[in-house]
Amino acid sequence: MSIEHFLDNSISSWMAGVGKHSDIVMSTRIRLARNLNGYRFPLAFTEDEAHKIDQSVSATLLDASDELQMQFSSIHIKDVSELSRQVLVEKHLISPKLANSPMTGSVLLSNDESVSVMVNEEDHIRIQCLFPGLQIQEAYAQADVLDRVLDKELSYAFDEQFGYLTSCPTNTGTGLRASVMMHLPALTMTKQMNRIVTIISRLGMVVRGIYGEGSEALGNVYQVSNQTTLGKSEEDILADLQSITEQIIQKEREARDALLKHSANTLEDRLYRSLGTLSFARIMATDEAARCLSDVRLGIDIGLIEDVDVSILNECMVFMQPGFLQKYAGTSLNTSERDMFRAKLLRERLQKEEKQKTKGEESE
Amino acid sequence: MICENCKQRPAKVTVTQVHNGEHFERHYCEVCANSLHPFYVEYKQDPLSLHQLLSNWFSQTEQQPMQQKQQKNTIACDECGWSIQRFLDEGKFGCANCYNSFRPQLPNVFKRLHNGNMKHIGKAPGALGEKIAIKKRIEAIRSQMKDAIDTESFEEAAKLRDEARDLESQLSTGGDQTDVN
Repeated sequence: MSIEHFLDNSISSWMAGVGKHSDIVMSTRIRLARNLNGYRFPLAFTEDEAHKIDQSVSATLLDASDELQMQFSSIHIKDVSELSRQVLVEKHLISPKLANSPMTGSVLLSNDESVSVMVNEEDHIRIQCLFPGLQIQEAYAQADVLDRVLDKELSYAFDEQFGYLTSCPTNTGTGLRASVMMHLPALTMTKQMNRIVTIISRLGMVVRGIYGEGSEALGNVYQVSNQTTLGKSEEDILADLQSITEQIIQKEREARDALLKHSANTLEDRLYRSLGTLSFARIMATDEAARCLSDVRLGIDIGLIEDVDVSILNECMVFMQPGFLQKYAGTSLNTSERDMFRAKLLRERLQKEEKQKTKGEESE
Repeated sequence: MICENCKQRPAKVTVTQVHNGEHFERHYCEVCANSLHPFYVEYKQDPLSLHQLLSNWFSQTEQQPMQQKQQKNTIACDECGWSIQRFLDEGKFGCANCYNSFRPQLPNVFKRLHNGNMKHIGKAPGALGEKIAIKKRIEAIRSQMKDAIDTESFEEAAKLRDEARDLESQLSTGGDQTDVN
């Protein structure tokens, strides 16, 4: 399948808005970091080493497509334009680090985009599985299958004391990072997030904004993941994340109930104002768009707003980013042009939905 | 005095701006002051990075004369040539062999990064992984066996004992051949 398939479509399988607790947990991501024996890590290796690693990892995965019952498309990063790389980053299919790497590297994508294997990012191999909703065990099982397939053909760098050897000492051991992306508007509105972030960090977990390390919580979307990778088994890491996630879900539900009970009118007003802004505004910066989308999403989840589909909001969160906008516009845009184009796309997307709904009702 | 910005509400906040060495005073109401000058702390980018932490931990734990410390920091990996100082500066390893080269120094680093943990107890690759998986299964069977004996279900316990024995013989003959899924 050509790269265009992955670029043109802003919808990935994780955006379907299905899965357990999908009103709060948007997606679950599992990442395994692995390195091969006999080659230096990407920070120190030569182009020749990079090339050999890329070839053997790609070949192994492409050969295993029958066994995995999964078709992979191999995309060489060097063959891809800068804008297309940015789009892949905005879809969370590759990392900024891989997009900007001067060395040979590639990404192997399953057609539904739930699996992406990055070659020569910070580590030789990064297996990523992205599932909709809360599916920690399911996503890990998928990553584990891929890991075993690669393990059979390739020789992993491993040490009895330190486990899987990775470029960064924060990944040493299991090389596993498990994370859930959660939409927590009510906890944010009721100013409970700071307290929760502090508690979670004491339990060997981290909370970040949606776009990874150091980023702000744009649109009230937070990513909770394990910090510790050494001295804890995979099962324990997953179980701990599961239990913390469930507790946060519980707290978010309580906060939503409390908001509805004590300030239903104010809340309804705010959420509908945001729907109005999205439907009619002519200039829309990223942060305002993210805030409005978060409000509308909350409105849908608590049943106040009924005629918009959640999956559209997931999609809007992705396509309102700079790379996607320019891809859609077919030309580069400066900031103010982007803000206008963003407003236009959001308007059109919500109106399209409106029309489909009324059509659907007429034909019923 | 009324607010310089909205010219409606009384001014309550004085903001001092320094521009080219000159001081300017501005008088705003609380509403305008908040929107014009939200709480602002000047941060350098990347306020606390991993390699800074690593270097600090090293100097804290190694309370030795400077000379000796410097000598320690020149230990180099014989595979990629990175010195331990380079590892500390980058916060990353150059290759898998660095773990071997810097082994004595690493527990101190890992202890702090991973909640006091220094040893991997998870999955392992290849034949080693199979062996570890078998060992884990034997442990699980043993604890089931204990439970069975406690509840006096001896038949069950005997079955479990045989199962554990089978697995143990697999371990001694090389678990990788017998366990192909």
